[in-house]
Amino acid sequence: MEALRDAFDFRDFSKPERVGFAIFTLFLLAFPWLGAGSFVKAVAIQFLLFSLFGMGWNTIGGYGGQVELGKAQYVGIGAYTVALTMVWWKIPFWVSMPVGILIAIGYSFIIGYPLFRLKGHYFAIATICTSLVLQDIFINWKLVGAAKGIELPIHEHPDFLYMQFKSDTYYFYFIMALFYVAIFYMNWFRKSKLGFQLRMIKEDEEAAESLGIDARWCKIKAYSIASAFVAVGGGFLAVYNLYVDPYSVMDLDLSIKIALMSMLGGAGSMWGPIIGSGFLVPLDRFLGSWLGAQKGLIGVDFMIYAALIMIVSAYQPRGIWGIIEQFRKRGR
Amino acid sequence: MIVLDALLQGVLMGLLFALVALGLTIIFGMMDIVNFAHGEFLMIGMYTAYWTSLLLHVDPLIALPASAIVGMLLGLASYYCLVKYLLRGPIIAQLFGTFGLMLFLRYLAQFLFGIDYRIVQKGLLVGKTLSIGLFRFDWTKLSAAILSLIAFLFVYTLLHRTKLGKALRATALNREAANYMGIKTERMNALAWMIGGGTVGIAGGLIVNFWYVYPTVGLLFVMIAFASVAMGGFGSIKGAFFAGILIGIIEMLFPMFGHLTGWDFFGPHFKFTVVYFAYFVIVVLRPQGLFGWKH
Repeated sequence: MEALRDAFDFRDFSKPERVGFAIFTLFLLAFPWLGAGSFVKAVAIQFLLFSLFGMGWNTIGGYGGQVELGKAQYVGIGAYTVALTMVWWKIPFWVSMPVGILIAIGYSFIIGYPLFRLKGHYFAIATICTSLVLQDIFINWKLVGAAKGIELPIHEHPDFLYMQFKSDTYYFYFIMALFYVAIFYMNWFRKSKLGFQLRMIKEDEEAAESLGIDARWCKIKAYSIASAFVAVGGGFLAVYNLYVDPYSVMDLDLSIKIALMSMLGGAGSMWGPIIGSGFLVPLDRFLGSWLGAQKGLIGVDFMIYAALIMIVSAYQPRGIWGIIEQFRKRGR
Repeated sequence: MIVLDALLQGVLMGLLFALVALGLTIIFGMMDIVNFAHGEFLMIGMYTAYWTSLLLHVDPLIALPASAIVGMLLGLASYYCLVKYLLRGPIIAQLFGTFGLMLFLRYLAQFLFGIDYRIVQKGLLVGKTLSIGLFRFDWTKLSAAILSLIAFLFVYTLLHRTKLGKALRATALNREAANYMGIKTERMNALAWMIGGGTVGIAGGLIVNFWYVYPTVGLLFVMIAFASVAMGGFGSIKGAFFAGILIGIIEMLFPMFGHLTGWDFFGPHFKFTVVYFAYFVIVVLRPQGLFGWKH
């Protein structure tokens, strides 16, 4: 009960933040009825999905301060669990998604235990390595469709059990529900014991250990929470695309994007990942579709994207939320 | 016999991996920054050699100085325009900063040259083989390995036998103390990036003789370089050398092992997976690497 009260308690945020959040919620609820085209709807779904990923990453990467660049492997685990169980045994989404989460958590404990002996750069590169190894295995594993991937059977009628709908609107509301569960969870998480322990570890790991915090165990716990979040998104991705292959759900680029969006928005803050993905996903999509249509301009969108990354990391490593907070302090 | 052949081929490949890893390890040793764009430097070096040889109708090996110079300039430019500012920020900003540079260079190459796979078709050594007894070596690989060994020895001598190298190593060991001794540490950083870019540019010019060049070629090589640097110990030059050769051998022997035993799992498609896995195991069990001097 205590935890639930904490999760819905937004009183410690400032008034503009609370008002902004309320307006944002109303906007999201009304969004499918505002006459947006299917492309815009798809972008909105991507935005919510990447916010979900980003919030997950934020537990270990933002609050814990560990540069984690291997989240795509858990997207893959979530997506493959849902897809494979559906193809093989016709197991409904609502059963296979929790199973996927459990597998992701189990796997994250196995990987996390040796992984968190490492720090800094060593850790960052090791997470990339684990992700690449898993991707290579899935690319060559014939049982799970190898490089071709697997297609989910398409149902003729909309089916809630298997989460198959004709219209994007249903998917939008579904991912929105997941997004809000994530927000309430994060609101509890940042006030929980683990949240405080992680921030302490980020500040000064040795001091935290001297106060009796088991730093490695805390990091592993946060890592598995992050993995669970990401696996949920992976499961959604499987039923949304109706198609899973190692390049779309396990790629290094995906891992990087997840971490990058949180960092650009402001790692270690509640709204950072949401702002980051709200900024980068539309930029990525619209720039891509706009420039992709022009002949001979392939890749320019990524160059702009990359230049943005460089500028932010060189001048404002605390991201967009950092800039906002700076202005607020100056205004006071 | 076949195993010995694979072993020798592995050593040849390993010498090139070592040269790629050299720049990475120097930069890391100097300022604790991991250069994700290292593979893209290599890609640019490859393209430089490719286009110089194609447009000026010279052998790719003669175009090598061009690759080296372009690599050096690229290293210098990225230090003064980006890395200098990144060094002030937290580690995550450093990682993403060089990652942004990597994406930028990759898509710049894609924009300029397209996504075609290109390979050098004409050249003095292309397609010729040398037979010694029962072994057959591609001349391109052999000369690339020899030249990379020379380049490696040159840089090693530069770092360990000259005053400049002494200043560089002093900065790597203790930046503040070096600063007090009148060493311009800022300039040493730039020098490290210049050497790093130059060596990887040369490596690119050598590799293009027998490897396709395309905009995303860097990722594979940068992961191998990370693995060799980690195996040898971050910042250790000797370590990068031996680890590079070791990885070359693993990469050649692994498919050979699968071929001999007939197990599908040990196929050639997993040869780089095993390198990543080796990185993971080594870094977890022995974080300072095989020859680590700085942790």
